[in-house]
Amino acid sequence: MGSPPHIAVIGGGSTGAGIARDLSMRGLDVTLVEQGNLTHGTTGRMHGLLHSGGRYAVSDRASARECIEENRVLREIATHCVEMTGGLFVKRPEDDEEYFQEKLRGCRACGIPAEVVSGAEARAMEPHLAKDVEKAISVPDGAVDPFRLVVANAASAIEHGARIETHSTVRDVLIEDGEVVGLEVEHASGAGKRVHGTEGGREEIRADYVVNATGAWAGRIGEMAGVDIEVRPSKGVMTIMNVRQVDTVINRCRPKGDADIVVPHETTAILGTTDEEVEDPEEYPEEGWEVDLMIETLSELVPMLEDARTIRSFWGVRPLYEPPEVGSTDPTDITRDYFLLDHAERDGLEGMTSIVGGKFTTYRMMGEEISDHVCAQFGIDADCHTADVPLPGSEDFTVLRDYMDEFGLRSPIGRRSVERLGSRADEVLTTSDPNPTVCTCEGVTRAEIRDAIEGSGSDLNAVRIRTRASMGNCQGGFCCHRMAGELHGEYDEDVARQAWDELLQERWKGQRHALWGEQLSQAALNYALHATTQNRDRDPADGDPVDFTAFDGGARSSEPSGTAGVATDGGGQDGD
Amino acid sequence: MSDTGPQTDFDPIEPNTGREFEPVDVFPATEEFDLRPGADSCFKCSACDTSCPVAEVDDDFPGPKFQGPEQWRLKRRQGHEIDDSVMSCSNCMRCDDACPSGVPLSQMHNTARGEYVSEQMSKTSVEYWRNRVLSNYRTSAFLASKVPRLANVAMNFGPARWLMEKTMGVTKEREFPEFASTTFREWWAERGGADESRRRARAHRERLGLDRDADKRVAYFHGCYSNYNTTEVGKAMVRVYERYGYEVVAPEQKCSGTPMFANGMLADARRHAEVNVSSMADLVEQGYDAIASCTSCSMALRQEYPELFDIEGIETVAANTFESVEYLRIHEDLKTDVREASVSGELAREFAYHAPCHARNQGLERQSVELFGDLEGAGIEDVGDSCSGISGTYGWKEEKYETSMEIGEEMFDHMAEADGDVGMTECPTCAMQMEHGTGYEIRHPLELLEEALVENPQSEP
Ligand SMILES: Cc1cc2nc3c(=O)[nH]c(=O)nc-3n(C[C@H](O)[C@H](O)[C@H](O)COP(=O)(O)OP(=O)(O)OC[C@H]3O[C@@H](n4cnc5c(N)ncnc54)[C@H](O)[C@@H]3O)c2cc1C
Ligand code: SF4
Ligand code: SF4
Repeated sequence: MGSPPHIAVIGGGSTGAGIARDLSMRGLDVTLVEQGNLTHGTTGRMHGLLHSGGRYAVSDRASARECIEENRVLREIATHCVEMTGGLFVKRPEDDEEYFQEKLRGCRACGIPAEVVSGAEARAMEPHLAKDVEKAISVPDGAVDPFRLVVANAASAIEHGARIETHSTVRDVLIEDGEVVGLEVEHASGAGKRVHGTEGGREEIRADYVVNATGAWAGRIGEMAGVDIEVRPSKGVMTIMNVRQVDTVINRCRPKGDADIVVPHETTAILGTTDEEVEDPEEYPEEGWEVDLMIETLSELVPMLEDARTIRSFWGVRPLYEPPEVGSTDPTDITRDYFLLDHAERDGLEGMTSIVGGKFTTYRMMGEEISDHVCAQFGIDADCHTADVPLPGSEDFTVLRDYMDEFGLRSPIGRRSVERLGSRADEVLTTSDPNPTVCTCEGVTRAEIRDAIEGSGSDLNAVRIRTRASMGNCQGGFCCHRMAGELHGEYDEDVARQAWDELLQERWKGQRHALWGEQLSQAALNYALHATTQNRDRDPADGDPVDFTAFDGGARSSEPSGTAGVATDGGGQDGD
Repeated sequence: MSDTGPQTDFDPIEPNTGREFEPVDVFPATEEFDLRPGADSCFKCSACDTSCPVAEVDDDFPGPKFQGPEQWRLKRRQGHEIDDSVMSCSNCMRCDDACPSGVPLSQMHNTARGEYVSEQMSKTSVEYWRNRVLSNYRTSAFLASKVPRLANVAMNFGPARWLMEKTMGVTKEREFPEFASTTFREWWAERGGADESRRRARAHRERLGLDRDADKRVAYFHGCYSNYNTTEVGKAMVRVYERYGYEVVAPEQKCSGTPMFANGMLADARRHAEVNVSSMADLVEQGYDAIASCTSCSMALRQEYPELFDIEGIETVAANTFESVEYLRIHEDLKTDVREASVSGELAREFAYHAPCHARNQGLERQSVELFGDLEGAGIEDVGDSCSGISGTYGWKEEKYETSMEIGEEMFDHMAEADGDVGMTECPTCAMQMEHGTGYEIRHPLELLEEALVENPQSEP
């Protein structure tokens, strides 16, 4: 065989990115297309739990075993994305003792290290737990940052020669003689790193094989290819608290139910979740009562949650799948396992496989399995290395250094930056330019923002997920404009302005279901600030580009006096 | 503040630690609280930053918003360090007062500073020992008071001061305060202690037409400074209170802890607080109210103690502590009495009054001006709302001296502008700074009150 086969992967979630990395490491030629930015789908809307498997230890032991196995792998290869917080399955007096024992037996049977701790011990670990908590099982749950993990997978794929296209939607699956031969893709804004508003257009990407990793959207791609994929999207709500009330993952020890877990995530804690089947993975109702119910229920475990500040809520859809013949009516009964659907075997359509279901925690394992499958199509015998080669950012690295001195940062900011960047810290933070803090809530400096822009182009939402800038308690109120300012130079005003608008919109969207108490004060302040200092109350995005030259240059202007009049007669920003 | 409504209006806003919260070894074996939830109240308006006197003059100081809610929110329970800039905060607590949203800023600073000092500052460094010596002023003062005349000379002896600056980082620019030849407590004991005070209070009650056994009893927290240095303030307190028929007791007490909080010496502060709380709590149980003549002492007992420590009785003591003039304004018709009085002689002067930051935090910044505005024979003028800049031990540190003087600049200017050439303030260290910057003599409001209201004060021992 001459050049390696070209594989097109659809979907830039954890599954797609994991596959792209695996295949490219095995020497295949990979193109990944994603309609939004990376993690645009369910991956960007999940809970951030690195499962120990404990949650499935009673109901689904096969999944539980996979989880603990992958949990161990990710701790090694993705150190900068994982925080090993530990987890507790907490039993309240009204919870069933028999189930508690069953959970314990299940964990042990699946090889999940599990210890029983008394109520007092649990409260010593987590002082904000309810006083009447009886006891708990401790397990190696962890917290994982899905954004960083997917970005690192994509970066690794790129290092191995892959092409990653974001903001590129698959419009059609090309079929010739009963075989999938490629994709028709619409680029929102041109190939390569994203540029707003210009370029764009359609591209036909020819491929020797196509992998459909579009999760809850898999059925849509199926339709384009004329095959049936019965994904059953099920929505779940999550609410982000302003601070970490707990530093350990807190699960309620009872059979499946809504609102039974709190995951510490970076500076915040995330409450979850619910499970309700929906028709459409994009258009589904987001309702306030879901949030209220969740806060109320979880307050039984951590009473202070009731009065604590929430900063936003969001919903995700699980890409659940079950073979049509099973016919579960309740979505919580549908297995969390993943399925590899080879359309050649299943539907007689050569050249394409879909992967559906599964969990974030097991993304790598799914990637490995499908990569084996793809390689088999081409008779390639290449080993999988994704479990032993660390991701970019998680290479060998000592964390015990004095970043503050080294990078001239205040200690909590230096510490946070380094935790996010991992082994890339030196490369990113060493700069001879001034390095002010751009996002003060999350401690993100200019150097990190600039690095993210280099990696993701002008899309500030992509910069956000890479850095956490604008994800803190002011929800971008004080930093979105600064982030947009960093685009300037490389990108012109129009682009910066559009990116800024998009970021702000995205930030407001998630706050809709958190607008009471402190976050309402915050929103009111943000609104007033943006209205009065940025003219945001009259939507400048609708208007013509701002004619900056029409403004008085001020006393210190180096322009010779007299030129100020030039631009007022309708001249554009460049004076043309 | 002068009506007799609930006397405990002063309510340091509780951090949001949840109703059910009971601290169980959050940080085992330390005195630290998890203050991350306190960041919930912050909406980043920066009101605190704009009111911070240190941030105003020191560009390297990140300001209270970072120091407090931001730093705490970024913190993890373990392995996260406190930024060393917390040592540049003077603990003036202005930020606390400025925050519209109830963020427990000073509690955050104090706790962070405590953690920084106990975990990150080298225990063998000169800075640590200098800070410890400065914050344990009571110990130095105790020793000095044994040989006051010698101490007065020695402490301000040029070569010795040069050496202190070089080896300990105590600025040689400042003059050490003078030690009294007889301490307040020595005077008090000699005068007959509580029994004598009861006798006098009863005599005054008779004079005032009150019940001989009226329930008017106060426990005086004189603090270190009026004990060792400005004993006239302590004596004035006793005489003014007796004049209104109050019996005074001067219970066993140690330093209020103010200088220790500011230096992050929380373990020292706690030891002292335990003594103070236990002796005050007993008296409060018996119906006494705790009175301090130093606004930082009353601040410590009222706000910092309950914020930082969990000592039996601390809440009751906090709720029953008052500043000396404040208390009389609540319970007596001080305003009328002062309006009807007049002063002549040494204190018939124009006063340039500075309200200490800690008085401001207790809502007391206008009381002296309101009170003495009507006093015949004397005048008073407020020199504005800036910070004096010394903030206790802060301005004594060689590396902070310049900052301290820069902050004080505005107050010095305003004092120079004011009519009077005598200063007035409730806070002993503000007084040092005022004197240092202007050369004025500085008096305490109680001294003027005594002059106005007490007949023949000098006639007693
Ligand atoms: C509420 C909730 C909480 C969860 N919590 C956890 C957890 O704590 N731990 C855990 O391990 N798992 C969790 N999961 C499961 C986990 O999030 C998902 O299994 C996983 O993220 C799925 O990733 P994916 O890549 O398969 O799908 P996705 O992330 O949805 O990726 C599919 C991508 O395909 C793209 N796409 C779709 N159509 C097209 C097209 N036509 N052209 C181009 N691109 C297209 C989409 O934009 C999307 O980005 C949770 C799920 C939910 C819903
Ligand atoms: S206590 Fe005073 S010096 Fe310290 S941060 Fe607050 S305002 Fe600034
Ligand atoms: S004044 Fe209060 S609410 Fe405003 S920034 Fe400071 S701490 Fe936050």
